[in-house]
Amino acid sequence: MSVAEMPDISPISLFDPTAGSAVPAELWDGITDKNLGDWEVEWLPELLKRLRILHGQGVARSKWPQSRLWDWRRKLQAIEGLLANQCFSIVCNDMTQAMMITDLTHRAKLDAKQAAHLVYVEYLETAPWNRKEIIGQEPRLSGCGSIMIRAAIELSKEEGFQGRVGLHSLPQANNFYANQVGMEDLGIDKDYQNLRYFELTPEKAEAYITKGQQP
Amino acid sequence: MSKKTMTLNLTEAEMAALEALCEKKQMSKTQLVRQAIRLYQKVDERIEDGGKLFFENEVSKEKSEIMML
Amino acid sequence: MKIKVKEEWCVSQAQLEAGAEVGAGVIALDPTFESDDAKNEPIDDSRVALQRFVELSRRQKNLSRQQLAEQADIDLSELEGIETDMHYMPETRTLYQLANVLGVSQKKLMGLSGLTQPKDVSYVEEAVRYAARSESISRLTPEEQAALDGLIAVLSEK
Repeated sequence: MSVAEMPDISPISLFDPTAGSAVPAELWDGITDKNLGDWEVEWLPELLKRLRILHGQGVARSKWPQSRLWDWRRKLQAIEGLLANQCFSIVCNDMTQAMMITDLTHRAKLDAKQAAHLVYVEYLETAPWNRKEIIGQEPRLSGCGSIMIRAAIELSKEEGFQGRVGLHSLPQANNFYANQVGMEDLGIDKDYQNLRYFELTPEKAEAYITKGQQP
Repeated sequence: MSKKTMTLNLTEAEMAALEALCEKKQMSKTQLVRQAIRLYQKVDERIEDGGKLFFENEVSKEKSEIMML
Repeated sequence: MKIKVKEEWCVSQAQLEAGAEVGAGVIALDPTFESDDAKNEPIDDSRVALQRFVELSRRQKNLSRQQLAEQADIDLSELEGIETDMHYMPETRTLYQLANVLGVSQKKLMGLSGLTQPKDVSYVEEAVRYAARSESISRLTPEEQAALDGLIAVLSEK
């Protein structure tokens, strides 16, 4: 969707671990100028500040793949108007907490002969203050990753892809996707910066959605 | 996002092909047509940018070009 | 597109997630610093000479890094960078201050750091030769003292 259009808004909840309570938030089905602005003005300086501290402490980040900063605006411009990409953002307390870009034109690698469609998560990131490893303490808000994967599953079901989702996980996130979300690990993808590729089957997608629900 | 409705006139052969694809992909006709539009738009954009659409044989690595009409 | 999701589900998943890393896709990779990328680049010998000079001088004066940083009125992190990270690029002001405190030519010290390209590289070569003679232990050995004397001579104004 273009940045000018207002996104659809779904009410969701995040969790404030310090207060120990749920916090109302919004899932937007788009990434707007407001979200990009929050990324530039709030996320980036905080992220760089935190990374410098870790760097100065000699925290070994060699296990992270090397990368330069991505030009977000250029990426968003490149996909503007393309139906193949569906974006999402989470906003809470008038601040962007997470963003995601999906691509609907990929095929599943699991049971490759079937050539089933899936929702491919091209990008998912949460605000630096919500990342425990970066700030070294409890996050301000948690749950963004879970909500975004939920959104990807719901989108997949709506488009007839039966909940199938695929993504390349950043190394430190392997545990979340493998164990909390329950995705299949298809191994290191040497064609994609040696990131690990994960897929969610329709059955696992359903299991994830119904998790924690009382029978 | 608001949705618009349209009526689609198809030949018997086209309808049969559509129904076969829906059966194979376990998708509704609407879902399939929407996916087809996404794919078409994406391919068209890349071709306009000067790209070419190829199929590659996984085993032999042989490429055959597809012309978009 | 709208989704319907129960608060209980959100909260239970959020508590499990607990601020874990969830990034996906190359776009989400964190930025790195020049020194991270430069890990694989070859280290300049002259930069080693700078490190040896600063460290030997400090130890000869029996100063901790903290004390030298205070004396020179520079950031401790700058001094640590110079002494421990061969790819670290110190600020111009840091070298200016260090040159003053350690009694050597500012221009020549800058030339060693790689911040400037010295016109006459012979002093750099000499400094590198002296630096190579020293090794890193807490008290200056006679070899280290000789190396330091050589470095001071090379880096002085005249």
